[in-house]
Amino acid sequence: MKKKVVSVLLAAVMVMGMAAGCGSGDSGDTAADTQNDNGAESSESDADGESAGDTSSSEKVTLSVLAGQSTTDAGIEEFIDEALAEQYPEITLEWECVDWGNDFQPKMQQYMQSGLPDIMIGKAQDVATYAPKGVLAEIDSTYLDRGLDAARENVTVDGKTYGLVYNALYQGVYYNKQMFKDNGWEVPETQEDLQKIIDDCNAKGITPFASHMVDTWSIGNVTMQFMMNDVFNKDAEWGDKFRNGEVSFSDSKEAQTAYQYNKLIYDNTFPETFSTEQTDCDAKMVQGEAAMKVSGSWSIQNFLDIDENFEFGIFPFPNQTGDSKLIFEPNITIMTSAQSEHQDAINKVLDVLTGNKDLAVQILDYTKTASMLKDVTPTFTNPSQEDIDKYAADGRIVDVTLGNNQLVWGGFQEENAKDIAAWLQGDETFEDCLKASDDRVEASSAN
Amino acid sequence: MQVSSLFTGKDVCIMKKRACSMETRMARQYLCLVLPGFIIFTIGLIIPLLLAFRYSLTSWDGMTVEKTFVGLKNYIELFKDSDFRNAWWFTVKFTVGNTIIQNVVALLFAVALDSGIKAQKLYRTVFFIPCLISAVIVGFIWLKMFSNVLPAINDLLGTNFNFLLFGEKSTVLRGLLIANNWQWIGYWMLIYLAGLQSVPAELYEAAKIDGAGTIKRFFNVTIPMLAPSITICVVGITTGSLKVYDLLVSSTKGGPGRASTSIIYQTYTTAINGRQYGYGCAMSVTLVVVLLLVALVQVKSLKSREVQA
Repeated sequence: MKKKVVSVLLAAVMVMGMAAGCGSGDSGDTAADTQNDNGAESSESDADGESAGDTSSSEKVTLSVLAGQSTTDAGIEEFIDEALAEQYPEITLEWECVDWGNDFQPKMQQYMQSGLPDIMIGKAQDVATYAPKGVLAEIDSTYLDRGLDAARENVTVDGKTYGLVYNALYQGVYYNKQMFKDNGWEVPETQEDLQKIIDDCNAKGITPFASHMVDTWSIGNVTMQFMMNDVFNKDAEWGDKFRNGEVSFSDSKEAQTAYQYNKLIYDNTFPETFSTEQTDCDAKMVQGEAAMKVSGSWSIQNFLDIDENFEFGIFPFPNQTGDSKLIFEPNITIMTSAQSEHQDAINKVLDVLTGNKDLAVQILDYTKTASMLKDVTPTFTNPSQEDIDKYAADGRIVDVTLGNNQLVWGGFQEENAKDIAAWLQGDETFEDCLKASDDRVEASSAN
Repeated sequence: MQVSSLFTGKDVCIMKKRACSMETRMARQYLCLVLPGFIIFTIGLIIPLLLAFRYSLTSWDGMTVEKTFVGLKNYIELFKDSDFRNAWWFTVKFTVGNTIIQNVVALLFAVALDSGIKAQKLYRTVFFIPCLISAVIVGFIWLKMFSNVLPAINDLLGTNFNFLLFGEKSTVLRGLLIANNWQWIGYWMLIYLAGLQSVPAELYEAAKIDGAGTIKRFFNVTIPMLAPSITICVVGITTGSLKVYDLLVSSTKGGPGRASTSIIYQTYTTAINGRQYGYGCAMSVTLVVVLLLVALVQVKSLKSREVQA
C-alpha cells in the first residue's frame, strides 16, 4: 500500500512539475498563430487584472524586454530601471539580457514562435530582419523626432520606422597618438602610407597591429569595414547584385582586396593572435606593444579602463583609392512588438529613454559611445572625438548598416570569417575561401 | 504428487483469481512508476525527435510561417557539405581520443587509489572536483591557462614550450583533450573505484596462490570483473564526447577557422545563427542515428564480454 501511495505521489509531483514548466505561456505552432501572445509576464499582469492597455492610470504593468547587448552595454538596464522608477513607478521592466552576437537571434527565433517580448533591444540591422515579417510596431514620431534624422534611414522599411536608434559606434583604425608623434608618422590616407608605417614599425620592433583573432567575430567585423570602403562605397548595391548573380567574391577584385587586408593584419600582428582575447589585446595596445588596432568604439571602454590617460585617435582603414570613410554603426536600437497590449506603457519607456537627457548621458558615458539623440552629448573624454569630428565635417562617414543589411551577420559574415581564419592559418586556399563565401549566397539575406 | 489431489477445484480457482489480481495490481503499480518517465521522455525526446525529422524535410528558416517541403534535399546536401564532413571528422577524433585516454587514465588512477595509498580520500576529492564545474567554465579556464598562465610560466622559467594550443589547427584538438580529460577523469575514476571495491578479495588470493603475478591478476581478475564498469564508462564517454558543445563555446568557439567545430556546434550555428532550421534538423537527425548506433554496438559487444566474465 505504501509503495502504491509513494508511486502515485511521485507520479503526481512529476506531472505537476511538467505542467508548471510548460504552462508559463500559450505557445502555438507558428508565428502567425501566436502573435497575440505577449510572453509570461504580460500574461501574468493580465491575469491580475493589471493590464496596461490604458495606462493613463497608475495601474502596475510589467513589460518584458529582450536586450541583445554588445560588450559595452551590459549594466545599462540598471540605469534605465532607476530612471523609469522615478518617472513612471507603475512600470516595471523584466529584462532578459543576452549577448547580441551569439544569442539575440536564437532568442528572437524562439520568441517568433511563442510571442515576442514587449520591447526588444538589438542593432539597426535587426530591423531589416524582423520588420518585413510584420512582428514589429512602428515607433511613434514623438520619440523618433527626439533622435537624429541620420538614425532613421536604415531602420525604415516601406516608409515606416520600426527602430529607435539610441547610440552609435565608430569603427576604423585606432592608433596610439603618442607613438605616432614620437615616430613622426602621419595618419595614413592610402595603402602606401599605411605600408610605410607598417615597415617602420617592423624595423623598430613594434607590432603594427593589435588583434584578437581567437574571436572570429573580430575578423568578420574588420572584413565588413574593408568591404564598406573598397566595395560598398563604390557600389552601394553590391550585396543585392551578389544575390542576383551579377557579382561574386571569386570574380570581384574589390571583394578579394577586402579579404586580402586580413592577411596584411595577420602578417603584422601578434603571433599569438589566435590565442589572444579582446581584453588582453586592448591591454597590449594601451601598453604600447602595438601601434594600431582595427576595431570599434567598444574598445574605448577597455582602453580607458586600463589607462584613463591613454591618448588614441581613429582613422578609416585606407582603401585602394585613398578615399576611405570612417565607419558609423547605429548600435542600441529599440524595437517594439506589434502585438503588445501595453503600447501606452511602451511609449512611456520610450519617453524616458529619449526624453531623460541625464539618463542618456549616463548611458553614453558608461558605454563610451556617441549619441543619436538631439541635444545630448556624452561628458566622458573621448580622445578620438577630434578625429571623428574632422571626418564628420568632411562628410567622410558611412553607415555600415548599408552593408550589414545586404550581407547579414548571422549565417553569412560570421561563417565567412571562419573561412578567412582557416585561410590565414593556411588550412584553406584563398580561392576556396572565396568560393565558400559564394556558395553561402542563400544565407546572405535575412529574408 | 499432483496439485489437484491436495486442493479442490474451488481452491485452485481462488488461487488463480488471487494470482491474477496480484498480477494486475503489480502491473498497475509498474505502470504508475513508468508513466511519469514515459510521459516526460515522450514530450521531451520522442516528440521533438519526430518534429526534427519533419522539419528536416523542409526548408524552414525557423521564423516564418511557411515550411516548404523539400523532401530529402537536405540529406542529399549534407553529403556535399564539406563543413558538415569536417565537423564529423573533428567529433570522431575528439571522441576516440577521449574514450581511450579517459578510460585508461581513470582506470589507472582508480587502481592506484585502491591500492591503499595514504590520503586516498584527499586524492579522490581533488580528482573529482573538476567535474563539478560547468564545461563552459572549464573551457574558459583552459583558454586562460594556454594563453596567459602557462606562457607566463614559460617566461619565468626561461623555457620555450608551445602552450598556445588553442591557436593552431594542428594543436587545438590536443588542447581540448587536455581540458576535457582534466574535467572528467575524476568522475570516471570514481566509477572504476566503486567497481574495484566490489571485486571479492578471495579471487585475488586464489589467483595469488595459483602463482599469478600483479600484471596477470590485473588482466585476468580485475579487468574481467570490471566489465560492467567498463561498459558504463565507455558508453558514457563516447556519447558525451559525440555531443561536445559547451566546452567549445567558451574556449575555441569552434576555431581557429573551423578546426574545432563539432557536429553539435555546426548544427547549432547552421540552424540558429544561419537561419537554416530545416537543414540543421537534418544534421541533428544524423547525429541521433549515429549516437543510437554507437551506443547499441558498444553495449552489445561490451555486454557479451560481461557474460563471459
